[in-house]
Amino acid sequence: MTLSGSLVARIAVLVVVVVFFQIGVVSEVPVLGVAVDLSPLVVAFVGLLCGSTLGAATGFAVGLLVDLALVQTLGVASLIFTLVGYWCGRLRELRDPQATLTPLLVGAAASAAATVGYSLMEFLLGVDAPVSLELLRQIVLGVVVNTVVALPMWAIVRRTLEPDLPDDPRRRRRRAYTTGGLSPLSRA
Amino acid sequence: MYDKTVRRRRAVLALLVVLSLILLTAYFGEATNGGLHSVQRGFLTVVSPIQDGANKALKPVRDLFGWFGDTLHAKSQVGELRKQNDKLRKEVIANRANEHGYHELLGLYHLDQLTLNNYRPVTATVVGKSPNIWYQTIWIDKGTSSGVQKNDPVINSEGLVGKVVQAVPDGAVIDLITDSEVGVSARINGTGATGVIQPKVGDPNDLVLQYLPANTSVTKGEYVVTSGTVSPSSQDNSLYPPGIAIGQVSSVDEESAYKSVNVHPLANLHNLDVVQVLTYTQGSKPARLTSLQAGLSSSGLTGAGGGEGNQLASTGAGG
Repeated sequence: MTLSGSLVARIAVLVVVVVFFQIGVVSEVPVLGVAVDLSPLVVAFVGLLCGSTLGAATGFAVGLLVDLALVQTLGVASLIFTLVGYWCGRLRELRDPQATLTPLLVGAAASAAATVGYSLMEFLLGVDAPVSLELLRQIVLGVVVNTVVALPMWAIVRRTLEPDLPDDPRRRRRRAYTTGGLSPLSRA
Repeated sequence: MYDKTVRRRRAVLALLVVLSLILLTAYFGEATNGGLHSVQRGFLTVVSPIQDGANKALKPVRDLFGWFGDTLHAKSQVGELRKQNDKLRKEVIANRANEHGYHELLGLYHLDQLTLNNYRPVTATVVGKSPNIWYQTIWIDKGTSSGVQKNDPVINSEGLVGKVVQAVPDGAVIDLITDSEVGVSARINGTGATGVIQPKVGDPNDLVLQYLPANTSVTKGEYVVTSGTVSPSSQDNSLYPPGIAIGQVSSVDEESAYKSVNVHPLANLHNLDVVQVLTYTQGSKPARLTSLQAGLSSSGLTGAGGGEGNQLASTGAGG
C-alpha cells in the first residue's frame, strides 16, 4: 500500500479519538459486567484495511498511548497490539477476505488475542495476586461484547479511512458493475 | 520489488517488537523516579486538562448509557437493602451506647490515634477508567495542585476505593483495590483478626483476606475494615487510616494453614463518579507516620516476613 500523509493523519486522529473516548466514556459503561475495549478493534481494522506495515505501526502507537495514559507497564500493550495489527494486515495481504462477516470474526479474534496476550504477559511479569476462575469468564465475556461492537466499529474505521485508500479492489469492482461496466469474467 | 517490500515489512515488524521489548525491560527495571516514569508523568500532565474537558463534554453520553444499567441494578437491590437497613439501625443504636465509654478510655490512656480526622479529604471527579481486567485503574481530575500525592488513600461514600499511584498538577491515577498491585492490611471488624486484603485477578467483585490466624472465628456477613498498618507482603506502601470499610465476608476458606476469607467490596467499583482522596499537610500525623514508614522500608525493616501487616501506627478501632 502506498503511504500518503493524509492517510497517516487520518489514522493518527482516529487512534487518539478512539483511545480517549475509550478511557473517558466506554470503559465507564460496563456491559454484562465487563468493559468494551475498542483498542484491539481499531488496530485490527486499520490492519485489515491498510496492510501489515501500517497495522503494526498503528498497533504500536495505540499500545504506547494506552500504556502512557493509564500508567501501565510501558511496552506491554505496544507489543500485543503490534502483533495484532500485523496479523490482521497479513490476513488482508494473503487472503483478502470479502465476506460481510469478516470484520466480526477478525474483531473477535483480535480481542481474544489481545486479552490472552495481556494475561500471558502479566503471568510472565509475575502477578502478585491469586488468579480466579472468574478470569476465564471475564475474558470470554470481553470477547463477546467486543464482537458485538465490531461491525459498527468497522463501519466507523472504514468510513474514516476510505477516502485515502487508493487500491481497494472491492470498491473498484463495485464501481465497475454499478456504472454499467463489464465484469472481469465477461470481458474474458 | 517484491523482495524489497517483504524485507521492509519484516524490518518494520522486527523494529517495533524490539522497541516494545526495550521499553518493557527498561520500564520494569527502573525506579519510579526513572526516565520512562517521568515521561509517563509528563504525558499525564499534558493530557489531564484535555481529558477533563472531554469528560465534561461527553458526560451526557455516559450518563445516558449508565442510566439504563443503574435502574435495573437499583430495582434488584431494593429488597435486600431494606433488610440491611433494619439490621444496621439496630447496630447503630448498640454502637452509640459503647461510644461514650470508648472515648472516655481514649482520654484516660492519652492514646494519640491516626483517624480520618487527621486527613484533609479532596473531592474529585472520575474522568477515565481502564478497560483492561489486568489494570484496575481510574483517572481523576484533582492532582498535586490540590494536595494529592502518590500513595494517598482514596475512598467514596461506601468504603475504600484504592490509592494514588501517579499524581500530576491537574490529575491523578488511582489503582483500585481490585488491582493486582494493591494489598491492604485489614482486619475483621468483629474479632479484630488482621490479614492482608488482595484482589482475585479477573474477579472485580471479590477480594480475598489472607494470612488470618488459623483459629480465627469468622462468620459470613462480617465487615472488614482497614487496620491502619502497612502490608509488607505486597508492593503497596500506602498507609490507610484504620477503620475504613472495605467489604463484607462472603465465604470462608478453611483449607489453608492460614485461614483466608472471600470479601465482597462495599464500594461499587464499576460505577465510580466521585471519590475523595485523603490528603495530609506537612507536619501532620499522617505525614510523620508516612515518612517513618518510608524510612523503615528503605532500611528493610518492614520487608521481613510474609505474614500479617506490621503495626506502624498506634491504632485501635479508629474511624
